[in-house]
Amino acid sequence: MLETIEQTKQQFLLDLSQSDTLDKLEQLRIAYLARSGRIAALFEGLKSASVADKPVLGKSLNELRSFAQSQFEARKSELDGASKPKETSIDLTLPGRPRPIGTKHPVMQSMEEMKRIFVSMGFSIASGPEIESDYYNFGALNFPPDHPARDMQDTFFISKDVLLRTHTSPVQIRVMEKQKPPVRVIMPGRVYRNEAISARSLVMFYQIEGLYVDKGVTFSELKGTLVSFAKQFYGSNSKYRFRPSFFPFTEPSAEMDITCYICSGKGCRVCKYSGWLEIVGSGMVHPNVLKNVGYDPELYTGFAFGFGVERPTILRHGIDDIRLLYENDVRFLRQF
Amino acid sequence: MKISHSWLQKYVDFKFQPHEMVEGLTMLGLEVESFEDLAKKYDRFVVGEVIERAKHPNADRLTLCKVNSGKEVQEIVCGAPNVAAGQKVAVALVGATIPHNQHDPDGNPFVLERAKIRGVESNGMICSAFELGLGEDSSGIIVLDSGAMAGTPLAKYLGQTDVIYEIGITPNRADCLSHIGIAREVGLLSEKKVRIPRVRLKESTTPSARQAKIMIEDKDGCPRYSARVLRNVKIEPSPKWLQDLLTSVGIRPINNVVDVTNYVLMETGQPLHAFDYDKLADHTIVVKRAKSGEKFTTLDGKERTLNAETLMICDAQRPVAIAGVMGGGNSEITNGTTNILIESAFFDPSSIRKTSKYLGLSTEASYRFERGTDIGITTYAADRAAQMIQELTGAEVLKGALDARGRKQKELKIKLRVSRTNRVLGTGLTKIQIKDFLSKVGIISKSLAKDVLETLVPTYRIDVGQEIDLIEEVARVYGYNNIETKTISSIDFSNSVFADRVETDVRNYFSNAGFNEMVANSLQDAATAALPGLPTVKMLNPVSVEMSTMRTSLVPGALQIVRHNRNHGNKYLRLFELGKVYSVGKSTSAESLEGFREEDRLLILMSGKPVTAGTGIQPHETDILDLKGEVEAFLAKVCLDKYRFISYDTRSALTDSTISIEINGLGAGVLGRVKGELTTKFDIDDPVFVCELALEILSKGMQSARRYVPLPKFPSVTRDLAFVVDGSVTQQSLEQTIRESGKPLLASVVLFDEYRDDRIGAGKKSLAYALEFQSQDHTLTDRESDQLITRIVDAARNECGAVLRS
Ligand SMILES: [Zn+2]
Repeated sequence: MLETIEQTKQQFLLDLSQSDTLDKLEQLRIAYLARSGRIAALFEGLKSASVADKPVLGKSLNELRSFAQSQFEARKSELDGASKPKETSIDLTLPGRPRPIGTKHPVMQSMEEMKRIFVSMGFSIASGPEIESDYYNFGALNFPPDHPARDMQDTFFISKDVLLRTHTSPVQIRVMEKQKPPVRVIMPGRVYRNEAISARSLVMFYQIEGLYVDKGVTFSELKGTLVSFAKQFYGSNSKYRFRPSFFPFTEPSAEMDITCYICSGKGCRVCKYSGWLEIVGSGMVHPNVLKNVGYDPELYTGFAFGFGVERPTILRHGIDDIRLLYENDVRFLRQF
Repeated sequence: MKISHSWLQKYVDFKFQPHEMVEGLTMLGLEVESFEDLAKKYDRFVVGEVIERAKHPNADRLTLCKVNSGKEVQEIVCGAPNVAAGQKVAVALVGATIPHNQHDPDGNPFVLERAKIRGVESNGMICSAFELGLGEDSSGIIVLDSGAMAGTPLAKYLGQTDVIYEIGITPNRADCLSHIGIAREVGLLSEKKVRIPRVRLKESTTPSARQAKIMIEDKDGCPRYSARVLRNVKIEPSPKWLQDLLTSVGIRPINNVVDVTNYVLMETGQPLHAFDYDKLADHTIVVKRAKSGEKFTTLDGKERTLNAETLMICDAQRPVAIAGVMGGGNSEITNGTTNILIESAFFDPSSIRKTSKYLGLSTEASYRFERGTDIGITTYAADRAAQMIQELTGAEVLKGALDARGRKQKELKIKLRVSRTNRVLGTGLTKIQIKDFLSKVGIISKSLAKDVLETLVPTYRIDVGQEIDLIEEVARVYGYNNIETKTISSIDFSNSVFADRVETDVRNYFSNAGFNEMVANSLQDAATAALPGLPTVKMLNPVSVEMSTMRTSLVPGALQIVRHNRNHGNKYLRLFELGKVYSVGKSTSAESLEGFREEDRLLILMSGKPVTAGTGIQPHETDILDLKGEVEAFLAKVCLDKYRFISYDTRSALTDSTISIEINGLGAGVLGRVKGELTTKFDIDDPVFVCELALEILSKGMQSARRYVPLPKFPSVTRDLAFVVDGSVTQQSLEQTIRESGKPLLASVVLFDEYRDDRIGAGKKSLAYALEFQSQDHTLTDRESDQLITRIVDAARNECGAVLRS
């Protein structure tokens, strides 16, 4: 008898699938679910089954009946809906009503991401003036007067001793003058270089400076901090290297390079065929700088680093002309 | 600086390929910016022999040459008038890159292809000196030595097999501004000793001390002045090898004496200057400062005005050179010169730099002197030059070098602590390791105590002056990449403040509200910066007039951006900027330098009409209420109800229809329509609406921990009221009256319509409000709300002359 129940179910499904009008569906109902229908007939047959089989068969029959009932109802409402005229005839392929979509400037997006990474490493954020004194921009940072190191940064002067800061490093001095160690800050901001405008240089750009001074800060930790940053910002697959460099306010000084992610280190126009991209200038804070802010260099050591924000930004988005960044063409801005 | 691979091989043994040199030197802190492999430059160029020269069948000015290029004889079409059978010529084969295109105004390189020229196939090109980059002559082909073998690679024939590196030397590494200097670093890489050329002079019996005299009057400016006197020098062009070598590192050959001084400069880093001995009055050299305003003509023919700080080389009567910068025309070597004095001195670096800056004159000599030269090698360099000139010209070298000392120079001994080294670097180096590392860069040390080394710094390392400099050398030799990479061990969040949360919040708000963030230049032209009427900050040395002055408002820069976008077809603009403005004045924050003001601002800008898109939307031209609504929404979100618009008669330099904005009772900025004359000035013919706010005042009004207001327990009653008032009555005054008279049960008042129509009376307007009444303790009855309405209507009539519309 279980077989008959199963056969009835299969036949019901077949008939259901062919009931494509309300009339046909009504016939289906009469054939299966009515008092004299096939399911009722099966219940009739149950009476003659053995006592041992009855519970199993009864359960199967009940299941069949409720299954058939629900299938019938679902189908009925389907056909009902199709037969009635629609209340609203909205074309669902119409576009949604547009709302203006805003964007953050791509350079600011990079800045926010960079700040987020350093803040997660326990750095706080400080800032300082863009119109700076010669002392903070150069003197306190161990640039001797009349030293060729000053040629590394073409400077806009406002008067003999006042200038537009050429780097965010003067904020290091301002922070250390105000605060006793430990100091762990990043200092983002706008800086200026008096250079001819070309595809590769801007008069104004953004830098992020970092400083950590405490007892027992080492070059080893400088590497660790920058590698950790680079892995978070540039991806954990990038390789990096440190090489000696020169900044008057750090010693030893280092440049950190990562494998060019345009060419994966094979060499291309962007990396000047070296396979490497210079991303951060850094070093151990020069003892003369610590002395200039009244820190004892025998007691404290520290590291500092700084990098531009524009280059990582254009590399990240594949922007081929850095000047686009500050043209502020909305066709450009809306892409980010 | 240009460094020759083969020149380096004179001083140190190494077998590095160019790319290994690039990597090795870069990792020592000498960044190789590029290199040129000269042999590669002449890849696919060979010596050819012209077998036959025939007329081109289709062109009078062309010839058809059969050329033996070693492996085969090929036909080449040639346009040069001087080509002839039997010549040895430079042939570029198909696929060669011709360094300069004679027919291109910029002389750009091009790749040679097999081509038909006037119907005849040409299998190569016979080149001119210009095309090869060997000279300026482009009138005809370059004819090679008749003894040259056809098929010889051209690079080999020209002796151009060298590799030239362009190295960026940081200002501290003055010791590397020479081939011997770089050789020392290559020696460190190859672990080979550097060979300094030994000088053996054949001196005459005449002592130079009798023939010339040196007097240093300015001992600080000139700590050492050495010289050599040579007689019977014959001035002529240098031999080819010397000319080629100098050319390869970018120095123009002049004559044998000048070329030798330049050779020694490039070899040792010591700048030399050769004087015509017979033009030096009393054969005397005096080193002293110039008189202020004194005039002097340098050997480039320019007359220069000196200041009192300029260090001069003089003879007994007059100045003959600007010390360390450039010699004078009055004592220079000419073709008639027979006796010379070679100067080899050490000058105070900062004095030379001041002079070079003051005169705006930078030379190979001043570049090195201002970075610091090696005071220990002045006589060596003079001797080296004397030896070479003697070898080249057979000149007589007088006995003994002249060597005057301004001040005694002491040996530099610095103590280095092993513990300190490891504490700075985070390493565990031993004293023996450190001693070994230092010896590799020529710094000899001995043990003073358990933890201390005493080092002797060679005179050429002028950058090493204290313990930390030695630590850097240790790190450099050990290798930065061998130092362990550790993360910060203890993180202390106690003083971690996310200081620029305000900016982040504002940026998030407006980008989410459909505004595009712009970043404009803070430098503008003086007229634009002056528009807001504040005293401006000007550059002494602007890069251009367009960027000579700092902005005093974010508005004008934004108008430039609006113009740019309109010119590119985008007229509907929703922009914002967070940035600083700058002016001269009493500084108001700790973040401005004394005498200057720097203030953070927020600019919100709207203009134009949205592009019609979607259905059921009727776009309209942006007006001031659009911007006001955006600003209200923003202020309501960040400052709750602590802001106020003051809309009457506010004067603003940049806007009309200006509304002042107060936050917590402080003037925070203005909102308005940019003045028509300004938009016209920027070629904008739609109105532009701007709101510029002071970020500091905004941030003080920002509410972070907001207070909860209990939700109403009883239902509210809403009523709409429409009034007719005189056109001069402001909406604000009527709304205020309604609010006051509806207290305390009036929960909200919202204007939902305003219109003017003659049917309601000339000069009148209609204002319609939705009112909501609510009580905290009971459900309002109809009677209560009717009484309230009556009170409000009465007040509106009495105070604003408002008539209720039926
Ligand atoms: Zn690359």
